[in-house]
Amino acid sequence: MNMLVSAAALLLACAAFFAYDQITFRQSLVRTLSAQAQIIGSNSVSALIFNDPQSATNTLSALKNSPNIASAGVITVEQRPFAQYSRDAGDTVVNIPPPPEGRVEAYWFKTTHLVLVHSIVFQGKTLGFVYLRADLRELDQRLKRYATIAFVVLLLSLLAALIVSALFRRSVAEPIIQLAEVARAVSQDNNYSVRAAPAAAQDEIALLIDAFNNMLQQIQHRDNALQEAHDELEERVEERTRELVSSNRELEAFSYSVSHDLRGPLEVMNGFSYVLLKNYAAKLDSNGKECLQSIRSAARRMSELIDDLLNLSRVTTSDMHREEIDLSLYARTIMEELCRSASGRHVEFVVPSQVQAYADSRLVQIVMQNLLENAWKYTSHHERARIEFGFEEKDGSMIYFVKDDGSGFDPRSTDRLFQPFNRLHTASEFPGNGIGLATVRRIVQRHGGEVWAEGAVENGATFHFTLEPNRSGGARPNYDA
Amino acid sequence: MAGIAFAQQSHPTDSQVKAAYLYNFGKFVTWPGANAGNGASFEICVLGRDPFGVILDSTVAGGNIEDKQVTAKKISSLQESDHCRIVFISSSEQTRLKPILAAAKAGGTLTVSDIPHFADKGGMIEFIPQENKIRFEVNLPATEEAGLILSSELLKVATRVIGKTGK
Repeated sequence: MNMLVSAAALLLACAAFFAYDQITFRQSLVRTLSAQAQIIGSNSVSALIFNDPQSATNTLSALKNSPNIASAGVITVEQRPFAQYSRDAGDTVVNIPPPPEGRVEAYWFKTTHLVLVHSIVFQGKTLGFVYLRADLRELDQRLKRYATIAFVVLLLSLLAALIVSALFRRSVAEPIIQLAEVARAVSQDNNYSVRAAPAAAQDEIALLIDAFNNMLQQIQHRDNALQEAHDELEERVEERTRELVSSNRELEAFSYSVSHDLRGPLEVMNGFSYVLLKNYAAKLDSNGKECLQSIRSAARRMSELIDDLLNLSRVTTSDMHREEIDLSLYARTIMEELCRSASGRHVEFVVPSQVQAYADSRLVQIVMQNLLENAWKYTSHHERARIEFGFEEKDGSMIYFVKDDGSGFDPRSTDRLFQPFNRLHTASEFPGNGIGLATVRRIVQRHGGEVWAEGAVENGATFHFTLEPNRSGGARPNYDA
Repeated sequence: MAGIAFAQQSHPTDSQVKAAYLYNFGKFVTWPGANAGNGASFEICVLGRDPFGVILDSTVAGGNIEDKQVTAKKISSLQESDHCRIVFISSSEQTRLKPILAAAKAGGTLTVSDIPHFADKGGMIEFIPQENKIRFEVNLPATEEAGLILSSELLKVATRVIGKTGK
């Protein structure tokens, strides 16, 4: 392509130069002939006036020094040949027309000759004409010479261009193509270990390749360092997790055994205080009986506490079996039981049918039990109450909720709600030991879900929970942080 | 047309050619001497028996040399006119040639004649018949003595130039 363009440009330049030369050469030829004609004309004036053709012939014979003039002559004003000159014998031209009226000179380019006619004017009178006939073979020769030179120049420059472009290709294009290939391989395969082949010459391309290789090396180093850091981190996390799991296990085993072992002495206390109250009630005064009652109720509370603690650890350690379950059914069953236990309360219970979930039925039952019991408990100070169980679908995941219009809680304390043994209310206000919501959170977390609460003092509380990992990845209020 | 009257298609007579030559000599000669600038017209004189008749008159009619009107004049002696630029000396004056030439030289007048050996005898331009043509010879020293300058163009077409090396 480049070659074609340069060849065309060269040809065009040659053609233009040649055309220009032709024109100037013709012009200069005409000028030369005109000058010669004028000299011959003025030298032939007396010959014409005094009718001396010999003198004119002598004048014309000086043209033998101009090799390009084939023939020449002087013609009288009546167009009678007066004197002749010809380079080669017999080369004569007759019937040369005079210049047109009003002009002293005229010329014609024929195929092989240029003919120029000049008037001989002496003191305002035209005495005759000089004609010169120049050979144009020199022009042809020039043309051929030009064509030859142009051809040779074209050939040489194309050759030079070819060599230069080949050299350029070898020294510049090929290393760059290789570099591009390496860059492509790097970006496609993320393989930073490859290197571009170093250039042979010490030029800018070599610098570029060196820089590129350096860059690759640095990237590789960083990549390795990053990978190492990542691996190390992962290892550390695993280690920590292992440690945590084992210490958690130990802790759970410990708390289980403690809870379990606490039961024995408690049962003894409970049993003997019962025996004491039953068999020796008569020997005790009212004050003693009251003390004994206090011991008994404390023992019962402690027993419940131990049950809850055991539940909590069981929740964490027991196996999980997910299945399709109907939460509406659980909710309704639990509420019916609660209503039976305390008739006389006016509680409106709202639950839609067929609220499905894919979860462990036993564990979810504990969740429902805890949340609904909480709602029941914290609405107990209100004459009329409304408890609602329901769900909403957000970003493709189900969010279940239990909502009441009870005494609620201070929103600033939401983060304490789900911690074990943390209570927002005193036991005299509402009975409880602060294990319920902690258990709920454990179960929900075991399912990969989350639980959070909204509420305000004397304005009800709403507990939301999910039972599957958050698929959307969207933001969800994280109250249990 | 003046000056080229000989160049008619019909062959001109010797008189016609000579008359034209007389007229044309004036164009190739410079008169720098006392005679130059004298007279209102450029006079061509014919001394002695006139061989031209009206031919010379008709040849010079309407002609101009040195921006002066050319006139032809018949004279019987050079004393008759001081302003003759060119004088044609008729063969009738052959016997009185010497004083005529002396007078012409003194007056700066170009002398022309067809008297045989006129140039050799001290005349300036002599008509010579040659191959059916009228040619002329020039006596260069004679013209120089009279203070006249002849154009090289004129000398070039002369058949012989006396007193000039090379020709």
